[in-house]
Amino acid sequence: MASTVTLIIAGLALGAIYALVATGYSIVYLASESFNFAHSQLMVAGAFVAYEMLAVAKAPAALAILATVACVAVLAVIEERVAIRLVKDPHTQLLTTIGVATLLGGVCTVIWGDEPLFVPPIVGSQAVNVFGGNVTPTDIALIALAIAVTGFVMLLVKRTRAGLAILAIAEDPEAARLVGVNNRALVLGAFAFSGAIAGLAGLFMAPQTFAVVSSGQTLSIQGFVAAALGGFGSIPGGLIGGFATGIISEVVIRYAGGVYANTVVLALLLTFLLIKPSGLFGRLQERVV
Amino acid sequence: MAASQSQPRLSAASLASLPSWSVPLGGVVLIALLPELGLSLPDQRQVILIAILTLLVSGLNLSLGYAGQLALGQPAIYAVGAYVSGYLGAHGHTNILLQLAAAMAACLLIGVITGVPGLRLGSWSLAMVSFGLILLVPDVTAMLGSQTGGALGLSGIETPTIFGAQISAHGLYVIAVVATGLWLGFLRNTIRSRFGPEFVMIRETPILAASLGTPIYRHKVLAYALGSVPAGVAGCLYANLQQFVSPETFDLTLAIAILAASILGGRRSIYGAIAGAVILQLGPLEATSFQSYSTVAYGAFIILGSLVLPQGLAGIADWLGERASRSVGPRAERAPSAARPSADAAAGYTTGDDRQAPASLEIVGVSKSFGGALALDDVSVSFKAGEITALIGPNGSGKTTLLNVISGFYLPNGGQVSMEGKALPLGRSESVARAGVARTFQTAQIPSGLSVLDTVRTGAYMNYRCSLVSTVVRSPRFRRNRRAAALAAEEALALVELTVPDAEDASSLPLGTRRMVEVARAAAARPKVLLLDEAASGLDGLELERLGDILRKLSAAGITVVIVEHNLEFVFSLVDRVCVLSRGRVVFSGTPADAAEDPIVRAEYLGSIEAPVQVNTADSARGQEATANAD
Repeated sequence: MASTVTLIIAGLALGAIYALVATGYSIVYLASESFNFAHSQLMVAGAFVAYEMLAVAKAPAALAILATVACVAVLAVIEERVAIRLVKDPHTQLLTTIGVATLLGGVCTVIWGDEPLFVPPIVGSQAVNVFGGNVTPTDIALIALAIAVTGFVMLLVKRTRAGLAILAIAEDPEAARLVGVNNRALVLGAFAFSGAIAGLAGLFMAPQTFAVVSSGQTLSIQGFVAAALGGFGSIPGGLIGGFATGIISEVVIRYAGGVYANTVVLALLLTFLLIKPSGLFGRLQERVV
Repeated sequence: MAASQSQPRLSAASLASLPSWSVPLGGVVLIALLPELGLSLPDQRQVILIAILTLLVSGLNLSLGYAGQLALGQPAIYAVGAYVSGYLGAHGHTNILLQLAAAMAACLLIGVITGVPGLRLGSWSLAMVSFGLILLVPDVTAMLGSQTGGALGLSGIETPTIFGAQISAHGLYVIAVVATGLWLGFLRNTIRSRFGPEFVMIRETPILAASLGTPIYRHKVLAYALGSVPAGVAGCLYANLQQFVSPETFDLTLAIAILAASILGGRRSIYGAIAGAVILQLGPLEATSFQSYSTVAYGAFIILGSLVLPQGLAGIADWLGERASRSVGPRAERAPSAARPSADAAAGYTTGDDRQAPASLEIVGVSKSFGGALALDDVSVSFKAGEITALIGPNGSGKTTLLNVISGFYLPNGGQVSMEGKALPLGRSESVARAGVARTFQTAQIPSGLSVLDTVRTGAYMNYRCSLVSTVVRSPRFRRNRRAAALAAEEALALVELTVPDAEDASSLPLGTRRMVEVARAAAARPKVLLLDEAASGLDGLELERLGDILRKLSAAGITVVIVEHNLEFVFSLVDRVCVLSRGRVVFSGTPADAAEDPIVRAEYLGSIEAPVQVNTADSARGQEATANAD
């Protein structure tokens, strides 16, 4: 029982990171129909900023959060100006966002090297006992963060003008433009917002994943699996998809071994795409002529 | 068939008269003979590495450049080829032909397994699925540790043989060059056939592709899976060159390098892969001092290259070639195509299968709602063969929706559509097109980068298909089909009497001419039913007259013509029958004369306007075009 609880919490915590990647994909996708390949690399950049603030400068938690969120949001805005705004077609945007991810990873490697750097958690490191299982505060914080971010984004989308405008764009960009929705400002805003979330996520995940460039690659895939499982563009879908992916990964690692985790997750993705490409909560749109 | 497709043109007139394949073939022969001219062994090795990279880049070009699908996982497919060959070589199966066959088959299989699901969701889903494959390389080699050597790598690969004889280093060089040449020839013959323009349409105007009966999904899977095959060849060459395979060769850095080489050489070019591979192999991949900054440079280049150099070096070569050929003097193909027989241009459309029986399009009880909005409400109407019917009605009355239901873009909530008494498949545009329904679009759908002639030919392709193998070997059947499609395009062009040169880029023509090209393309399909969505909007008086003549000829040939149009003067002077839609319902169906007199029509559609002849001007129609998306 105790070990099962530990397993599930560990799976949820891992899944929370994936869900945060998926949420980032979705926010940008809903507003601009583009896929931001670099999102997970933005999270990793956030982890490095957190390292500088918490491990090097020993800054207080609030300042560290503020700096990380601001830095990554600025990076995301720069990305939008360079890799999205200047490019019209989504095929090329995919290439330019891959370019951004590569560049970002390269710059981080030049600055911080490729050895994993430890980032102290801001929520303490004393393991706590939950239903008999040993759980770190970082795990709990990650799960809470993913749920809070998902809820917050859902509220934003449903309750604010910007959110409604984003829904309108996602439904029919042409019609949205005709009724006066400022597409460009929204896309920029979506990037800034997803960047802020990436910074926050990077800071919270860093104690667990360490700050290391190579984790961006794995995260981008796992985040994509989470998004595809939940339904691409669905905010709650990304959370459920992330948790599912995380728990499945942990179960495979526990019972079959670490080398099988990625393979099983990718096989799961292929099966899902084959049977239900719209995901659990997604919907397929009809083509418009 | 797409001989006039963009390619580097040779400036020297003597070279231009040679067949287009002779220069690349000569190049391959020359490179294969370089060792005889004193190319050193280390340099030969370098050329083999360039050939390997060329194969990897070229496979990506087929998928990314042509079909528009980013296959990031080339390193993983390459790994499969290398491990399959290496495993065979380490277990006494040294015959390189056997190894090549096994490696290609394994890679094709991986391509199909990942492509079939990977292509089901947007273009990024294949990118992510294939990217995921790279992450699996170390895991899978570890799982199969006893066969692959795990993280330590696979060693003990014996020297390859061919027909029982051991292959020397020089022999492997020749094999690498010949294999790369063969693949490039395969790619060239695939792209310079209907597949090339069909890939362009799938990438740029997928809706058009569907309306021309192009199997979009199958073509995407084909391009991606075929692009895996050269990676298999590359893997086999690599395993035999190094006689050692280890998992860290096939990492993300390689994927990024392949992508950079593709963008550099020109992702939509056949031979650009060579240029990209040469530069990358001799530049960044060689320099070890560059290592730590390589990802920074690759990242910056991928962004910059896609922004400012979308066609890569091949694009620059094309541009230079174009300028050179222009300065030499006007080329024959740039002159207007006056040689075309224009007498009774519609002749080709009268012959055909049993056109005596009036082919008609029957729509029974069709309803379509979007969310809560009912766009079509129990619509029943029939269109007669040999007649032109106008579908008119205010904006939002459901005209375009009805066309979209007929051509299979929308699945109706209820009802039936049948042609010549046979039910048309609902919601399946490709099948509807192949059954003989052609159409044009509100916004003219002309993909960029195709000549007028190639654009019109795309209309005829679905009637003249032949297999990929047939296409690549240029079989008699392929040649027959190519001629037939060309003839259909010629006839269609003669019908619309286009005054621009056939070699002109169709997408850059003025709107009126583009609409004529669209009509020609639809006519080239030799359809039974032709649907025109505001084909007259944006046409001037002369062009309107010509469009009217064309449609009369087509209908006289027995084709059922349906036109959605706002220009009532044009409509009433042209059509045999008018069908008026209002709020998703048919409110009138009859002759134009009766329509003008009908009180309901006047109230519903003509409104306060006294006589329909006044409701005309291209401007008003054009204005409506912008908002008509809501239709």
